[in-house]
Amino acid sequence: MQHIWIVLGVLFVLLNIAAGLIWLERRMLAMWQDRLGPNRAGPLGILIVLADTLKLFFKEDWIPPFADKWVFITAPAIVVASVLMSFVIIPFSPSIIVSDLNVGILFFLAMSSLGVYSIVLGGWASNNKYSLLGALRGASQMIAYEVFMGLSLMGIVMLTGSFKLSDIVNAQKDVWFVFKQPVALVIFFIAGVAETHRLPFDIPEAESELIAGFHSEYSGMKFGMFFIGEYLGVTLISAMTATMFFGGWLGPAFLPPWAWFFIKTFAFILFFILLRASLPRPRYDQLMETGWKVLLPLVLLNLMVTGAIALWIRG
Amino acid sequence: MFCKNKTCNTIHYSPLTIHNYYMSDASAILTSLHQQFDAVTFVPQQTVDNIDTLWLPKENIVAVVRYLKNTISAPFNLLYDLCGIDERDRMGKEKLPAKDFTVIYSLFSLDRNKFIRLKVALEGEYPSIPSITSLFKNANWYEREVYDMFGIKFEGHPHLQRILMPLTWQGHPLRKEHPARATEIGPYRLINETIDREQDALQFKPEEWGMKRESDDADFMFLNIGPQHPGTHGVLRIVLQLDGEDIVDAVPEIGFHHRGAEKMGERQSWHTYIPYTDRIDYLGGVMNNLAYLLAVEKLAGIEVPDRVKVIRVMLCELFRISSHLVWFGTFAQDVGQLSPVFYMFTDREKVFDIIEAVCGGRMHPNWFRIGGVAQDLPKGWDGLVRDFVKYFPPKIKEYTNMVIRNSLFKGRTKGIGVYTLDEAIEWGVTGPGLRACGLDWDFRKKQPYSGYEMFDFEIPTAQNGDCFDRAVVRVEELWQSLRIIEQCLNNMPEGNYKADHPLTTPPLKKYTMQDIETLITHFLNVSWGPVIPAGEAMSCIEATKGANSYYLVSDGNTSSYRTRIRTPSFPHMQMVPYVSKGYTVADLLSILGSVDFVLADIDR
Amino acid sequence: MNYLFYISSVVAIVATIMVITRYHPVHALLYLVVSFLAVSMIFLSLGAPFVAILEIILYAGAIIVLFIFVVMMLNIGSEAAAQEKQWIKTQTWAGPTILTAILLAELLVLMIRGDSTTITDQSVPIKQISFSLYKEYIIAVELVGFLLMAGIVGAAHIGRHKKRYLHRFLREKEERESVKL
Repeated sequence: MQHIWIVLGVLFVLLNIAAGLIWLERRMLAMWQDRLGPNRAGPLGILIVLADTLKLFFKEDWIPPFADKWVFITAPAIVVASVLMSFVIIPFSPSIIVSDLNVGILFFLAMSSLGVYSIVLGGWASNNKYSLLGALRGASQMIAYEVFMGLSLMGIVMLTGSFKLSDIVNAQKDVWFVFKQPVALVIFFIAGVAETHRLPFDIPEAESELIAGFHSEYSGMKFGMFFIGEYLGVTLISAMTATMFFGGWLGPAFLPPWAWFFIKTFAFILFFILLRASLPRPRYDQLMETGWKVLLPLVLLNLMVTGAIALWIRG
Repeated sequence: MFCKNKTCNTIHYSPLTIHNYYMSDASAILTSLHQQFDAVTFVPQQTVDNIDTLWLPKENIVAVVRYLKNTISAPFNLLYDLCGIDERDRMGKEKLPAKDFTVIYSLFSLDRNKFIRLKVALEGEYPSIPSITSLFKNANWYEREVYDMFGIKFEGHPHLQRILMPLTWQGHPLRKEHPARATEIGPYRLINETIDREQDALQFKPEEWGMKRESDDADFMFLNIGPQHPGTHGVLRIVLQLDGEDIVDAVPEIGFHHRGAEKMGERQSWHTYIPYTDRIDYLGGVMNNLAYLLAVEKLAGIEVPDRVKVIRVMLCELFRISSHLVWFGTFAQDVGQLSPVFYMFTDREKVFDIIEAVCGGRMHPNWFRIGGVAQDLPKGWDGLVRDFVKYFPPKIKEYTNMVIRNSLFKGRTKGIGVYTLDEAIEWGVTGPGLRACGLDWDFRKKQPYSGYEMFDFEIPTAQNGDCFDRAVVRVEELWQSLRIIEQCLNNMPEGNYKADHPLTTPPLKKYTMQDIETLITHFLNVSWGPVIPAGEAMSCIEATKGANSYYLVSDGNTSSYRTRIRTPSFPHMQMVPYVSKGYTVADLLSILGSVDFVLADIDR
Repeated sequence: MNYLFYISSVVAIVATIMVITRYHPVHALLYLVVSFLAVSMIFLSLGAPFVAILEIILYAGAIIVLFIFVVMMLNIGSEAAAQEKQWIKTQTWAGPTILTAILLAELLVLMIRGDSTTITDQSVPIKQISFSLYKEYIIAVELVGFLLMAGIVGAAHIGRHKKRYLHRFLREKEERESVKL
């Protein structure tokens, strides 16, 4: 019974965070861009979340006549489902975890590799040239960056000898992995930004080029699903960064473990938003080139060095 | 990446050579023309702007243009403008070789720093003339425009199609029989057949442009960028022929923003046309007024007081800053940087605060007048300007660090959209786009107007002619504009804010109540508008985006007989397909951003 | 946990049938993804989480995406489906069907005889997999590595895209070089 409560609780909290990020992102962007942002509905404009959600719900749920209807409907569901599934393995605290799988990291990688379907199928089913271009860009970008993301985490797996996230957190009791695996952190985060296709790597959407790319044709709650999916993705990558590199729930005892976890996660969410506020977007081929020619050698090197050191320490 | 082996060092324009050519007499070119084409009778015409103007028969136009462009030393290598005039209603045309229509070629020589104006008189209802598209690449659009506006056919033009008006339009707007107002045309009805016809006309048919629908092994994708697209900065449609994401060819479709500004010039009085000019390059504000008024003042023979000159320069430079800030912010946004546009629009507001305090208006202040400006500067203007001059420099530094020095930004703009100096001249590029190719050409320095010779400033240049260099040049221009404004601030002359001339409109009140003559002049100037003496004059200013000219023809009436507006964005947009071939869609957006066009400036 | 196995098996079979009966390649591929997910569930229920996850990461997450990618690039639509309908004639499908029927019969015989060993529901830890991969089967792993390397090099060679629509400067350069040759 307690298990069900955890699942429901996690779901509830996550959806609220994702919705709250609508407000947080707009306020933070506004702050960094010298403007006000939404400040009218409710205290500090927090009720904009409600207004936005209601608006999305009541918008005409339009399926373009030229679209492939069922695929068009399925695509936005996939992104939310796959990201929510990934949260299954995140340890929010020693006791709050849906399932502490022993293939935890692999499960996370598997789920994020399914996320690419939403982009590809959404873009293809829209039957729109901009969407198609977005889908093509998205597919190659996400598949490529999945590789670097997976490889960047393998150093930690080597050091802990486990794919289990609770093991990994516990292994950081003395030193956080950010100090042992700084290169991996950078690569993981870059790949994470590319995976969630957030600016600066929002190449499948590229507002000024492809006009929202793969979700150009979406409106109403279907668009809302992409929207929520994106914010959940941001939360997921932030949570993973906190767990893998910054000791997850670990922290001084004056705050409960889950609080430490959320503080760390929010720090990375803010960093995501700051990236969006500050950086221009590279071109698609530049992104791919950097990926294969810089990140891949770097991450392999990191892996080799980590392996060598791990062996050396063990004697 | 292309620039290294393509730096454009072939042409050197040293001030000395320019000076020499300038000194040699205008008739030199005429004598050499007479020697070359002895059978042809060139009829010179004296114009108020002192530009060599020659009438010649239409059979010789291609040969003469070729001679001027290719054969002579210090050639006229830039096709500055090409326009038409419907001469049928013109009063006093008997004195000229004019017939029913005239096609006018304005060529410019960068070596001589000189314009030459060739006129060809055409006879008949829908006459034709040989095309010069084989000589000048940018003649293409200009000839299409003349065809669109007058129905004059250009023999040998590769694709003579309407350019500004819809393909389904009836008649040619700048012909005198074409109505100027919608109310003269009759009520518009949108019936189903009309919708179908208009929709069909908008359909892009690649075959018409000589494009294939598929290559040997794949289909091309034809992608509509626009008319509604955040990257086009207005209603512009570019049809891209894509192989994957690589641009094979592009066809810009303009005219969505066409408001018939030139036609309105024939309807409005000389004075009431000023607000329309504000809206040509709507980011340039009063700078458009200046281009127009310089031509009017040449016609009227008004010499404005120094104070007017300096006030005008100061406001123009403020508008240059404001326009460049819009470009800067939106360019950053085009390559995906979201924040700078907000900072820059905030600073633009600061510029607008000054402009509002001085003019009362913000984007379209309509503040310059024939022979002066609308009012004197308000009390405390110097404080506002001084604050801005102090406030702005750290901001430019900050933005340079934020945008120009950002490596992602460099990656998106360096080596993208390259054109060489020769190509730029061939396509009629002026302004920062030309200076980014290494030529320090600025009409404020080379042909000073409105007292620019009194100011101390530099002409920023860059060498590679890519998107990045165009950006660098513009940012550097912000500094120079600020320098000029500071000089205006410190050296504002005393004196009248309007010339003491009968055609100054409206005249200074203190000169109007002296006797019946001055009173009547005042009355007529504000009721009918001034009557500008017959003649022709062209102004040429360095506007925010390049060379902007008003070529005005007066037949001694209260409104202009022909108003020709040469805008910089028009040839720049024409060049976009040429420079974007071989790049990707994402690069096209960088190129569009770096070209810095305004749709209203293209379409007029 | 037997019912999990049976549910996933039914899903896998139904999805696979849908794969072959769909005319539209993208729809077929989507069912193929479902089929892979179902198979991965089977592995999971049999206590082989590593294989299950690999199934998703490799097949569902990468290979099928590439298939869909290709389908999108080729812009296969209703014409392709019509063409496919024409291709499927009796002589085309008869041979494979007979052969598969033989295999099916064998399978049924095995299942009815019922003397096959039952799979023990026991989890295989990753460590054990890695040990066996890098100890007993090291040669096989290395050979597969060679094979994949050859595959990648080959793919890179075949797929080396010569940019057909060059920038005018590059074109000029190329023309100059070809003149020299």
